[in-house]
Amino acid sequence: MTMTTTLEDSNQTVIQLDNCQKYFPVTKGLIIQSSIGQVKAVDGVSLQIREGQTYGLVGESGCGKTTTAKMVLQIESPTGGLISFNGKNIADFNAADRRQYRSSVQAVFQDPWSSLNPRMKVGSIILEPLLANQSMNKHDARETLLRLLREVGLHDYQADYYPHEFSGGQRQRIAIARALSLQPKVIVLDEPVSALDVSIRAQIMNLLKEIQNRYGVSYLLIAHNLATVRYMSNYVGVMYLGKIVEEGPTRDLFTNPMHPYTKALISASLPAHPDIQREDLLLSGEVPSPLDPPTGCAFHPRCPMVLDRCSRDDPALQKLAPGHRVSCHLY
Amino acid sequence: MSAIPVLDVQGLKTHFFTKTGVVKAVDGVSFTLMPGETLGIVGESGSGKSMTALSLMQLVPQPAGRIVAGKILFQGEDLVHKTQSEMQDIRGRDICMILQDPMTSLNPLFTIGSQVLETVRQRQGGRRSGLMDRAIELLQKVKIPSPEIRMTNYPHQMSGGMRQRVVGSIAIAGSPKVLIADEATTSLDATIQYQYLALLKELQAETGMAIIFITHDFGIVAKMCDRVAVMYAGRVAEIADVRDLFNNPAHPYTEALMRSVPNVDEEVEYLYAIEGQPPALDSLPPGCTFAPRCPYVFDRCNEEFPDLINVGEGHSATCWKLAK
Repeated sequence: MTMTTTLEDSNQTVIQLDNCQKYFPVTKGLIIQSSIGQVKAVDGVSLQIREGQTYGLVGESGCGKTTTAKMVLQIESPTGGLISFNGKNIADFNAADRRQYRSSVQAVFQDPWSSLNPRMKVGSIILEPLLANQSMNKHDARETLLRLLREVGLHDYQADYYPHEFSGGQRQRIAIARALSLQPKVIVLDEPVSALDVSIRAQIMNLLKEIQNRYGVSYLLIAHNLATVRYMSNYVGVMYLGKIVEEGPTRDLFTNPMHPYTKALISASLPAHPDIQREDLLLSGEVPSPLDPPTGCAFHPRCPMVLDRCSRDDPALQKLAPGHRVSCHLY
Repeated sequence: MSAIPVLDVQGLKTHFFTKTGVVKAVDGVSFTLMPGETLGIVGESGSGKSMTALSLMQLVPQPAGRIVAGKILFQGEDLVHKTQSEMQDIRGRDICMILQDPMTSLNPLFTIGSQVLETVRQRQGGRRSGLMDRAIELLQKVKIPSPEIRMTNYPHQMSGGMRQRVVGSIAIAGSPKVLIADEATTSLDATIQYQYLALLKELQAETGMAIIFITHDFGIVAKMCDRVAVMYAGRVAEIADVRDLFNNPAHPYTEALMRSVPNVDEEVEYLYAIEGQPPALDSLPPGCTFAPRCPYVFDRCNEEFPDLINVGEGHSATCWKLAK
């Protein structure tokens, strides 16, 4: 761990998000549509995914973490701000750049039951991205396939099986093999283990870590489970209503959380032993609707330490320790 | 705490008779539940934890599923031999259940108010007066803000946490003796789950009901439960008081499972992972069902299923390692 912390700053940034925004219009009327407002799903997110490291995004549902991931995957394009890949703005990409970007950034999704085509054999599923992107003779393709299968802990003969013949954990391995087939620089992991059984989760998390050590691939991990994020990530960003409210190196963030929301999330996470007593930070209410977010700091209606100015000014992210940024008027 | 258990389950077996063979979903489960006690039943999917809960309610999917052996003594009466109409009275009044997904337990076509009122009306028998007050009182108990207004809402107009609270209010309408929460907080967000668990504890303190938590999450067990039963492939692998279980897990499965869960409070470089996967219930291995994945396996494990062996007061596990 000490090694990774010293590497933190020297590692090159692969993908950088600068003040990224994604506003979805809310329309009314079926034929004559008029815009009645917008949902600020992501509202000014900046983050850096560094080479060979994992950036974990945590937050409750509706906080914009999946929309952020979709922007990185170019499934959604940002309505504001910019995303750069190896220092180049992806809005300026030409067709070849875009093609290269798409093969360098891959994804593993939450539900391995819906992310694999049930009518395709596992071998074709894994090789599809490869054959779509480069020409390859049959022999090389077979070699690559077998290498990928072994990489994720599956057997050679399983290439001719269909997805339904596998358990959830094995399916997730297939999804990982498919993501690896193009030797990507970045893999977006959207809740990669939350649909799996408890005893299988550790297997998949360890596999992902091993792959990272071997190939130096970077991960953008989206998860709601703090323990998973702590285990997997080098760097963590906590999101609330479309904004990153706190960000820092994993150890720093968990041992010294600053933002009241981060503190509340940690206090709400379930203990690993009945004797662990946490600071009781019971948040009242629920996440407000992003259609009509509160004025000032979006967290102020639920915040136990709320100040007068919190309902007026939106706090900016400020640096409090190396790499540790918080947006809160308390500091 | 009185010494008479509110629920005493002995050797419960629920099997499914399918074309391809008998699936032993629950295969000899025994436990007792004291009034006011919280029991956790932990296990992975297919371990039989939900089927145990459904068996207690006599709601096993028919005709494939059947309780083939065992007793379920609720306040001394065996529920297995009750008729459907007798069970109807017990279900909802004495034993209640909260399921994982509140969107499927509430009817989307009726308002929250009418669904709570329906239950209240049933619980109060013929009396027609005061139904509304009682319904509002129930919604207040589960801390739904401005219940009078919320009564007119439909389920889709509420958030997941609020919906689950409504389900909770319906469950406690008849002041049950036993509340079964089957993955009741799994679909909720972390801070909302925390609120809901706190609410359940409060309601328990108020009413003295016993709670059974069916979950896959050791965190919920650590936070909420007094006793725990760990299930694996239809049987109880280990049963103990919560502290005993966490301090000295006796069954290799419990031990391995605990080591394979990441921890928020600690930095872990590498997690222990259990190899393989749970067995298919229609083709169980001959001896101990965990033997194929067990790091301590020896000859006897592959020959016969171990008995429940006592390792301490109220702490027992099914593992041959303990008999040596």
